[in-house]
Amino acid sequence: MVDNKEARDAVGDYKAGWHDPENSTIRFDFGLSEEVVREISGLKDEPTWMTDIRVKAFKHFSERPMPTWGNTHLLKEIDFDNICYYLRSSESTEKNWDDVPEDIRNTFERLGIPEAEQKWLSGVTAQYESEAVYHSIREDLEEQGVIFLDMDSGLREYPEIVKKWFCSVVPHSDNKFAALNTAVWSGGSFIYVPKGVHVEMPVQAYFRINAKNMGQFERTLIIADEGSSVHYVEGCTAPSYSTDSLHSAVVELVALPGAHIRYSTIQNWSSNVYNLVTKRGIAHENAKIEWVDGNIGSKLTMKYPAVILKGEGSHAEVISVAYSGEGQHQDAGAKIHHLASNTTSKILSKSISKNGGRGSYRGMVTVSPKADNCKLNVVCDALILDEDSRSDTYPTMEVSNPTARCEHEASVSKVSDDQLFYLMSRGHSEEEALAMIVNGFFEPFTRELPMEYAVELNQLMALEMEGSIG
Amino acid sequence: MDSASRYLSLDEPDRSDHLWRYTPWRRVHPSGIVSEIPELGQPILRLLTIDGSDVPDGIRLVEGEASQTVLPNSDELTSSFLLASSNCSRWTLVVDRKFSAESPIVLEIQTGEGASACQISLEVGEMAEIELVTRVVGNNDWFGLLRTGRIGDGAILNDVLLGLQERGTMLRSDSIAIGRDSQVRAGTVSSGSEKTKSDIRYLMGDSGGSVRVLGSILSADSMHLDHHIEIHHDAPETFSRLSWHSACGGKSRTVGTGMLRVSDGSNGADAAQIFHNLLLSKDAEADSIPELEVMEHDVVGCGHGTANGPIDEDQMFYLEARGLDKQDAKRALIAAFLNSTLSEMGSEQLHEWLVGVLSQQLESLGS
Repeated sequence: MVDNKEARDAVGDYKAGWHDPENSTIRFDFGLSEEVVREISGLKDEPTWMTDIRVKAFKHFSERPMPTWGNTHLLKEIDFDNICYYLRSSESTEKNWDDVPEDIRNTFERLGIPEAEQKWLSGVTAQYESEAVYHSIREDLEEQGVIFLDMDSGLREYPEIVKKWFCSVVPHSDNKFAALNTAVWSGGSFIYVPKGVHVEMPVQAYFRINAKNMGQFERTLIIADEGSSVHYVEGCTAPSYSTDSLHSAVVELVALPGAHIRYSTIQNWSSNVYNLVTKRGIAHENAKIEWVDGNIGSKLTMKYPAVILKGEGSHAEVISVAYSGEGQHQDAGAKIHHLASNTTSKILSKSISKNGGRGSYRGMVTVSPKADNCKLNVVCDALILDEDSRSDTYPTMEVSNPTARCEHEASVSKVSDDQLFYLMSRGHSEEEALAMIVNGFFEPFTRELPMEYAVELNQLMALEMEGSIG
Repeated sequence: MDSASRYLSLDEPDRSDHLWRYTPWRRVHPSGIVSEIPELGQPILRLLTIDGSDVPDGIRLVEGEASQTVLPNSDELTSSFLLASSNCSRWTLVVDRKFSAESPIVLEIQTGEGASACQISLEVGEMAEIELVTRVVGNNDWFGLLRTGRIGDGAILNDVLLGLQERGTMLRSDSIAIGRDSQVRAGTVSSGSEKTKSDIRYLMGDSGGSVRVLGSILSADSMHLDHHIEIHHDAPETFSRLSWHSACGGKSRTVGTGMLRVSDGSNGADAAQIFHNLLLSKDAEADSIPELEVMEHDVVGCGHGTANGPIDEDQMFYLEARGLDKQDAKRALIAAFLNSTLSEMGSEQLHEWLVGVLSQQLESLGS
């Protein structure tokens, strides 16, 4: 491990902000072209149909203009020619931590991944730069037919399943960044849970960017077959650099009739990472999809986890929190489309802005004309902690069915003086009191997380609140 | 640059532009050819009291050059187009300082033939007290209305715009500054015209200002009624409430988009908005986007909400159990739904008059 003073100075309170020396086995030059796309596909020895999709997506990416909404000022600063689109640091994906190159293993040990795996996970995939370096799944789940692989291995070993579902939820032409991901994707997770199998403990993926000006484009596809259930947890960190990196993932979830998928994320990228992610799930009859989404880091996040309620009786929930500190813009939200009758959904969004940070909720809920008796509820709460910060709410509700019952409410406020007074009169310092109020504000989110993550998040927020007073 | 040149220098907005998301500019332009500013006719304007008598001294309508100043946050496209197309029909409604009207004043606008447009500048003097109803009637193809002006310090204004055209398209743009400690209730009652696109903006640039924006919208057949409301808090201790009720039947569509923007420095601001939509038929559609941008942390509160739903079956049962037939029960519930904002728009006298107008509309729409 290198004790890099420059990096530590840049890191500040961001405790995952160190970086290791770059020991790449393959590194592409900066910039993107059709040749780069074909080369990535060639390196992975992919079937022709995947290469064709990549090329098609690249063309769409090249032609499609940048979004004209959101933080266009920051989006304009992305220099696509100054990003490395593929970097491999390990020869292969290992099943044993001892076989992972030492420097990478040290990184993940420092992040606590092997320890967490032993204690409370059903399986782990660890991605470093563009490729998964470690992967394992509990034997009993494997015996029940659960497939949990990194996406490249998934494509190699189960090409028919991947071909059937890849791009079926998020088409390559969905948006500019989904097109970019489809063109250059590498790594990510592939999960298939057979009919009726319940994966009791969560499976986890951890994504780490180490190199400067790196682009990470993982692709995740989760298929929960009829009556099955799975909880997927992902975390992510990166070193703090003065130049920007890009994380542009695509996640596709398919919950077949009666299935249940919960997808939890704690995004803690360093403040030089653009996090532009497309996450979407399709819920069939009586299926349930939940996104539990925490956005703590990054420079600019634009992420709107979506659910298409395609089957009658299906249900969607999105619970998200966002913390925006200095120089950060968390533009997060949720989208839910009610296409079938008797579908229900719930969105709960909480955000805190501090030190000039900007938190935006951007959401969309639609009810199609054929979807009778739908119920949906959206609640957004925001706290602004100082005079330099900002909070926005941009919700859209399109209702085309008279039987739908739809509610949306939002509030923006500051920390209540009464609450501070109450806690301080009981002996807490103002800083402690503020941290407690913030943790209480986020509580509806943290209680949905596995305990280890909830504790980590509370500690992280307490750290962020340090120095908030005076 | 004059307003015509300014309009012609602008690009046609696309659907990624929030304001034009549901109603593209091309659809509400008088000719559909967005690169032209067609020659438009002049509507007929008349000022009278609510009982039909002459207006008292202290309020007058002046034809001729009106202030062409629009708020800095106005949509450039709509305001420059309406300024350019209403150059033959500019009016200033002057309300003298401390003038107080005993009964509501009606500004009747007869839209005339073909397509017409006008600009009205409201110059409400300091500490004046007045209830104003702008009643738009007619059956022409297209009508454009630009309202600009300033509500003087300490003035109390109840300002209701009643859209009762039999058909055609209405393009409306309001760009009004609210003075220090003035209190404004701004009502919109819309049940006419086949297509309406309105862009209503208030700026509270002085402390202590208060605005309540209220909407009672009734749509039927294949009407398309799109209202955008923006309220900017740009001074300390300002207050706003936006409450918008839309009842939507037939194959119609109502769109309500709101934006509350609280600027840095507007400490003590209190802002809230709510959209309620009542869907009356399976082909109707109601869209709402209540947006908030808050750049000041020391606020009393900023909130918004929206709720959509059908007519409550329990309420229908209650009324039918008391002898009303289905149609009358439904009509009563729609009227009550619209009345909750209508009743807030002004005095009892004004309210009774508005209820009478709305009841006629409900009858004629066969709801």
